[in-house]
Amino acid sequence: MSRRIAVWDPVVRIFHWSLVAGFAANAFYTRPGRDAHQTVGYVIAGLIALRLVWGLVGTTHARFGDFLPSLRGVLGQVSDMATGRRRVHVGHSPLGALMIYNLILTIAGIAATGYALTTVSFFGVEWVEEMHEALVTWAEVSIVLHVAAVIIESRRLGVNLPVSMVTGYKDIP
Amino acid sequence: MSDLDDTSRTAARLAGGKPLTLVLLILFQSLCTLFFVFDVIEDLKDGATSLWHLAPEAGATLGLIIGIVFESRSLMQLLRRQAHMERSLGVAAGALASLMDDYFQQWGLTPSEQDVAAFTIKGYSIAEIAELRGSAEGTVKTHLNAIYRKSGLQGRGQLVSVLIEDLMNAPLLGGAK
Repeated sequence: MSRRIAVWDPVVRIFHWSLVAGFAANAFYTRPGRDAHQTVGYVIAGLIALRLVWGLVGTTHARFGDFLPSLRGVLGQVSDMATGRRRVHVGHSPLGALMIYNLILTIAGIAATGYALTTVSFFGVEWVEEMHEALVTWAEVSIVLHVAAVIIESRRLGVNLPVSMVTGYKDIP
Repeated sequence: MSDLDDTSRTAARLAGGKPLTLVLLILFQSLCTLFFVFDVIEDLKDGATSLWHLAPEAGATLGLIIGIVFESRSLMQLLRRQAHMERSLGVAAGALASLMDDYFQQWGLTPSEQDVAAFTIKGYSIAEIAELRGSAEGTVKTHLNAIYRKSGLQGRGQLVSVLIEDLMNAPLLGGAK
């Protein structure tokens, strides 16, 4: 009975999991100030740039036009939760879309402040360091929320969302 | 489209509030909570902080969290009510919605059962309800059985007549609060 729909193209999937690996590496393994930390940082900045371009020219559900922030959409999705209605969004759900923008902006901010700390004029400047760390904390909180939401929505809708980010397909009941 | 806009706006008015205000409040308080939590963690890391400093902070955080829980619950209730009132307007609809709410609470229906009951009262068939809710017909039947079991009513006819009876007995305008 379930319909199989191709949702996430390879660019989106590679971007997602590379970002996961890169963020985890720099948050937990590499040491700030070292070459490895900076190299991974540049790779992450490149990934974000790629995603921004792909959001304009990519496939249907990868485009920003497919998941513009929508208050009405958010209220609709929360109403579905409140009434136990199951309406599956093929691409990003309205709440999911907000998280994507939040994560892209936050990680872009981390990369920007991180780069600033390597330049002569901002090296060792305290407020830039504090902002870099605060953004990392905000990203970590967001990621915990993101993972929790993916689990909750997968259970609510009966669609395995993590698997769809690996295979690219959503099996919609 | 503008008709639908009007409908949802009227529904919001009848349901007694704007969900947006609640959403923003919940968001703001969540950010405050986050700030407090990290503040407490930082204080604990420093180690030198006294209990007189920590206890009120922890208490304030707890208060915020309790507030968020209650606000989220009323947001869910508000949205549920609006969802049940779509496209049925006027004073009678407001009174009917209040009445339905009261009965649903009294019978102890789950959110899903409340939704199915609301659709049933409006005259939708099981197949239509399944389509509207994105669930299987079997699931809707299970919900219906639970509704009739909990309410002690025999079927759709009785479910509707309980509400009609109350609406006829109560003064419409006075009863709609």
